Amino acid sequence: MYLFLIVSEPNCCIRVENLSIQRDATFILRALSLSVDCGERLIVAGPNGAGKTTLVKTILGLVRATSGSVSVLGTAVGSREWLRIRSRIGYVHQESVSVDFPVSGREVVEIGVCMLREGRGEKRRRVRAAMDAAGCAHLEDRMYARLSGGEKQKLSIARCLCQDPKVLLLDEPTSALDPASRAELMGLLHDLNERRGITILMVSHDSQVLTGLDWRIERLEEGAFAGQGS
Amino acid sequence: MSIVQALSYPPILRGFVALVLAGCFFPLAGVFVLRLNLVTMRFTLMHAALLGAAIGLALHIDPLLTGLALDLLIIAAIGRLARESGLTLGYATTFFMVPTIGLAFAVIYKAGVPSKDAFGILWGSIYSLSRIDLVLTAAYALAIALFVVLLFPRLSAVLFNREVAFASGVNEGALTTVILLFVGVSVALLMQLIGALLLDSILLLPAIVASFTARSTRGFFLQACIIGAFCSIAGFFTSLALDVPASSAVTVIAACLLGVGLLYRRISRRRS
Repeated sequence: MYLFLIVSEPNCCIRVENLSIQRDATFILRALSLSVDCGERLIVAGPNGAGKTTLVKTILGLVRATSGSVSVLGTAVGSREWLRIRSRIGYVHQESVSVDFPVSGREVVEIGVCMLREGRGEKRRRVRAAMDAAGCAHLEDRMYARLSGGEKQKLSIARCLCQDPKVLLLDEPTSALDPASRAELMGLLHDLNERRGITILMVSHDSQVLTGLDWRIERLEEGAFAGQGS
Repeated sequence: MSIVQALSYPPILRGFVALVLAGCFFPLAGVFVLRLNLVTMRFTLMHAALLGAAIGLALHIDPLLTGLALDLLIIAAIGRLARESGLTLGYATTFFMVPTIGLAFAVIYKAGVPSKDAFGILWGSIYSLSRIDLVLTAAYALAIALFVVLLFPRLSAVLFNREVAFASGVNEGALTTVILLFVGVSVALLMQLIGALLLDSILLLPAIVASFTARSTRGFFLQACIIGAFCSIAGFFTSLALDVPASSAVTVIAACLLGVGLLYRRISRRRS
């Protein structure tokens, strides 16, 4: 009966069940459960240290669960099948690359096609299309380290778009942005969700980003959901 | 003695070819060291190569081969220790750094390795390379060049951010292990060529200068190779002209270029 229920929920994109992450004696996440439907846009909000980044990394398969399970697009994270589909999940990381490392805007976006078994022409086309969609085509020859926070985020999103993602996970994408860039980024994400149907899960400690948004909001505090927002 | 005459001597010709190959291709490993912050590991591998070479000299085996073998062994041990103990790569590396150098000097002392040969390990000598050493150097140069060219998109992802690489579907764990192996072999070969203490002049300094001048990862690799080639060729001919050791000449030229690179970076930052 239980199995039947899982199979009969084709609209579920991300499913987290009783997820706990323990480091030494500390629980970073405590019996967390979360279900995100396909095409949904969700913000997991909470203060620093609440476990938001750990949640994203566990969904990506970067952090192993102490107990509980995580599945994305119907596939258990960490399984053999997962290795095949994980590139359908776009990941916008929190840390910026170190200042002295020379990497161009185009090279950052090209990472999104590095595992594709397509010809060079097709890869180039995808990169170009993704940069156009994210509004960062003019940044292709610029040094990544010298770009503003908003420009870096656009490149990261373009990188993800190259992967033709079903799911987009964003770790504090607005933390280094001014209000105008923040609004522009949120508009871009909203647009990608509406027009392409990409499921978006974003974590943020930035309370300003939550105001006036028609996103589902979950509040995470000390490793557990505190309640549902607007 | 003219340069043509000098190059007609097989040991000098072998040394020249090996130095040019190392200058052209070994800075590729320097880019990895710099970007993945493997500076501590580089020291550990230098110590391990020294220990391996000392054991080789004591047992009358080619010190290059024993140095290489010990480097590969240490890389495997560091990886295993980090995995099983949960230590970071840096801590696991430090664990091996001091015992290897201590053991190296113990072997040199107890086995009665002649001081001239022991110093040879430290300073290196491009003119003492055997034909096998040269073949190994050439094979390795070809291998690292192919590795970077064929796997550039994936390497670029790992160098940018390991988590992003993983999320993009790259097997970043395996690729990082292969990178560590290439760094280990580079260190062992360069110790034999120009010595442990001057190793940075070919492995690292060209990569550092390139990091100041390049604007893309492709440019970073390419410029590191060009700068490395320039240092080794200019250093070789300078050493012949001034009758100084080749390793010293290469190092001084690389250090001068580093100064120029720093100046360039300062100017370009002021402009931007």
